[in-house]
Amino acid sequence: MVSSTIDHMAAITVFLAAILIFTGLFNDTIQTAVTYQLHKTLSTKASDILDTMLLTPGIPINWGQTDASPAGFGLQDPEFTQYQISPFSLMRLNYAAGSPVFYYKTGSYYSNITIGGKNFLLLSNSSVLDYPTALKLLGINNTYGFQLSMNPIVTVKVTEDSVQNANPLRLSVEAYGTGFPLANAYVTYCLVIVALNGGERGSPAFSTIYGTEFTDNQGSVTLEFDEVDRADLCYSFVAYAHLGGLVGVGYLERVSAQNQYVIPFIDNLSEGRVLIAHSYDVKYFGPPVAEVKYNATFVFLADDHTLREMPLNQSVGHVNYGDGFPYGVVNIPTNNPGILIITYKKSATEGGIVMMPWGISSLSFPVVFGGDASKQDWVATDMRQVTVGGIAYQANLALWSLEGYQVNG
Amino acid sequence: MMRTIEVLVVIIIITGAFIATSYFAVLPWPRQVSPVNLRRLSLTTLELLDSNYDLSKAAFEIDNSTMWDQLEVALSASLPPNLLYNLTVYEVGSGESAGELYRTLASISSAEDLGSTSDASSYLTASSNVTFNVTPEKIGEHAGGGTLYVLNCSDANGWWITGYTAQSLAEDLYNLLSPYFVKTVMVQDTNQLMQLLDGNKISGSSEENVQNAVIINTFGECVPMPQAYYQGNSRANEGYDATAAYPYTRYCYTLGQKIRVHNWTWASIVGYPFYYVSNTAVFQNEQNSYGIYGMRMTSQGGVRAFLQGLDNQTYRYDSSGVTSDVGVVTLTTETLDACNYYGIYPSSYQTSTRALSTSILSAYHLSVGLDVFNQNGNYLPGAVYEHVFSGSSDTTGSILALGLTRTPDIRLTGLSLLAYYQPRLYRSEYTAYGTSRLVVLQLGLVGGS
Repeated sequence: MVSSTIDHMAAITVFLAAILIFTGLFNDTIQTAVTYQLHKTLSTKASDILDTMLLTPGIPINWGQTDASPAGFGLQDPEFTQYQISPFSLMRLNYAAGSPVFYYKTGSYYSNITIGGKNFLLLSNSSVLDYPTALKLLGINNTYGFQLSMNPIVTVKVTEDSVQNANPLRLSVEAYGTGFPLANAYVTYCLVIVALNGGERGSPAFSTIYGTEFTDNQGSVTLEFDEVDRADLCYSFVAYAHLGGLVGVGYLERVSAQNQYVIPFIDNLSEGRVLIAHSYDVKYFGPPVAEVKYNATFVFLADDHTLREMPLNQSVGHVNYGDGFPYGVVNIPTNNPGILIITYKKSATEGGIVMMPWGISSLSFPVVFGGDASKQDWVATDMRQVTVGGIAYQANLALWSLEGYQVNG
Repeated sequence: MMRTIEVLVVIIIITGAFIATSYFAVLPWPRQVSPVNLRRLSLTTLELLDSNYDLSKAAFEIDNSTMWDQLEVALSASLPPNLLYNLTVYEVGSGESAGELYRTLASISSAEDLGSTSDASSYLTASSNVTFNVTPEKIGEHAGGGTLYVLNCSDANGWWITGYTAQSLAEDLYNLLSPYFVKTVMVQDTNQLMQLLDGNKISGSSEENVQNAVIINTFGECVPMPQAYYQGNSRANEGYDATAAYPYTRYCYTLGQKIRVHNWTWASIVGYPFYYVSNTAVFQNEQNSYGIYGMRMTSQGGVRAFLQGLDNQTYRYDSSGVTSDVGVVTLTTETLDACNYYGIYPSSYQTSTRALSTSILSAYHLSVGLDVFNQNGNYLPGAVYEHVFSGSSDTTGSILALGLTRTPDIRLTGLSLLAYYQPRLYRSEYTAYGTSRLVVLQLGLVGGS
C-alpha cells in the first residue's frame, strides 16, 4: 500500500515536472512559428505599401505642385503611368536626414536638403508633408512604421582636372551605376560662366555653353572649355548622362566668395515663389558684412535631352544681412522640373553660383522620408526601379511593425 | 513503480513529439522569410530600361551589337551588385500554326546559374515602326470652320521676310500646320484672295469652310491686294482713299471688315502688320519707298485702318503710331508648355521691335486670347487678339500679331496658333503579328541556391 502511494506520488511529480518543461519548450516553438508568420506578413505588407506609394498619385493628384495638404498619399506622377514618380511630390516630403533651417525674416522653418556647399533645397515647413501625417494617410498609423529612401541609380561625378586652376578649364565627367561604369553613354551638359561685372544694376552677368559628348569604355569623358581661362572665374556645370533608359545627373561649381552668398528658400510651391536670402541671415560668419548682388536663371531638360534656358522675370536684385534689408523674390514660371541657377557677387572680384533643383530629380537629390529603421527589431525591405522626372532612381522601403506579435496580415 | 514507468514512457513520447515539431518548425533565415520581391524588381527594371524605348529598339535589332552592349551595360549598372540576371528576348508567334508560340531570339546573362531563389517578369515590347501613332484633333471640326488659308500669292511681294520668299514660308507652314486643320488651302494669287474676301470657296472641296477660317499672311509686313482695289478699278472705293497720305490704307480697313464678317483669325508673322500692300501687276511701276517695286506703303495707318474695320468703326485715316521697340522678349509659360506638347522648339528669347500697344484693347474692343510673349510694360510683343463687341460674348474676328524683328521664324506662328486653339494629340498603339516581342528578365540573388 505504502509503495503504491509512493509510486503514485513519484509518477505525478515527474509527470508535472515534465509537463512544465515541455510547455516551455513548445511555447518556444509556437513563438518561432508566430515570428515567422509576422515576418512573412511584414514582407508582404512592405511590398504592398511600396506599390501603393509608387503607383498612386495621391489626392488631389497634383498635391505635389500645391501647398495644400493631401487627402491621400501617393507619389506617382499624375501625368504618367507605371513607376514614374512626381519630382514635386517627393520635394514636399520632410527630409529625415536634414536639420530644418530657420529664416528669421519670414519666421519660418524650412525642410532642408543641402548637397555639397552651394546646392540647396529648402522648402517651407508649412508646405512640407511630415511623417505622422503620411502614416495616417496610408492608414497604418500606430500599426507600422516605415522609411522610404529614393536614391539615384546613376552617379555622375564631375571633377576639375587634377592640375588645379588649369587653363583652359578641363572637367572630367564619370558616369556609373551600382558599381558598373556607363560606357558610351550620351552626355548633355550646360556650363554657366559668371561674369562678376556686366549685369544689370551692378549684378553679375552670366553666359551659358551647351554641348553633348559620349563617355568612353570606362564611362568617363573629359571636356575642355577655353572660355574659362582664369582661376578666379566662377562657374557651374551640370551634366546629364543617358544610356539605355538610365539617366543620371552630375554637377560642380566653382565659387570665390565662400561665406557671403545667397540662399534660395521655396516659400510658395503653388506660385513657384522663391525667396533669395543673404547667407548671414541664416548663419553669421562674422564681420565684415557685404551686400550680395544676384542674377537668377532657370534651365530645364527638354524632351530631346538637351538643356534649355527659361528666362525669369525680376531675376536681378541684391540682398543684405540684418533688419531693413528685405529678401529678393523670383517666381519660377513652370511646373516642369528644372534647375534654378543663381549667380551672385560679393565684390568686383568675389562671387559665385548656387543651384536649387525645382523638382527633386533635376540635380538627382536623394530623398529619405519616415522614421528611424535602425532602432527596430525586425525590418522588412523591398525595392523598385523608378524614374523621377526622367531620372533613374531606386526606391527602397523599410517597414516595421509597431504591434509586435499581434499584427495579422 | 508501474506508474513511474508509464510516466517515463509518456515523457519519451512527448520528447519525440517535441523533437519532431522542432525539426519542422525551424525559423527560416531572413532571406527566405523576408525576400526582396524579385518579380516586381525585374518588372520595374524592364520598365526603366524601356523608359526611352531603348529596350524596345534593342529587342527588334538583335543583330545590333552596339545596342546590345549598351543594354547590357545599362542592365548591369541598374541592378544591385548582389543580383544576377538573365534577359531573354522571344519572338511572339501567331499561334495559328503548329510551331512554337515563343521562339528565343537573343539572351544575355551575368551567370550560368541563377540559383533556386530567382524570379522573373515578362514585358511586351513593341516595334517602333508601326506601333505608335499620333492623330491631331482638327481645329474647328466640332465648331464649324477648320480651314486654314495660307497666302501663297504669286503676284505679290513680301517685306521683312528677308532670306525667304512668301512661297517658301507658305510651303513650310503648310507642312507644319495642315495636320491640325480639316482642310488647308493655298491661296495662289490675289484673284483667289478676292474670291475669299467675298466669302466664296476657292478649292472646290466640300471640306473647305470660309467661315471661321484661319488665314496666315506669309508676306511679312506686306499684305497682297487684289487688282480690283487699285485706284480707278471696280472696287477702288474700298481700297483707295485719295485724301490719305498713304491712299491704300483704305484696303486694310476693308480687310478688317471681312475678318469680322467671316470671323477669321488673321496671322501676321513678323513686324508691323499691314505696313504695305502689294500687287506686282498694278503696282509694277510703283515702289514702297525702299526700292521694292510692286508694293505701296500704308505705314502706321495700315493697322489702325484694319482695326477700325474689325471694330466696325467708320473709316477715318489715322496715322498715329501704335508700336514700340521693346527689345528682347520671352515666351510665356503657356507657350513654353505648348512647345513640349507639340514638339516645336523655337528660341524662348526673341527681339521685338514692333510690339503693339495695349491701348488698342479698349480702343477697338479687343481682348487678349493668348499672350505668346510676356508683356513688356504697356506693350504686347506677340499675342492673339479677339474682337468682341460690347455686351456680346461672341468673338467676331481675331488677329495674331507677332511684332518681332525680321527674319521671321514660322515655328512661332505655328506654335502661337496651336497654343491658342489647343488641338489635342491622340496617341494610339497597334498590336499585330510581328510587331511585338516578349522580353523576360530573370533575377537571382548571389548565393541563393
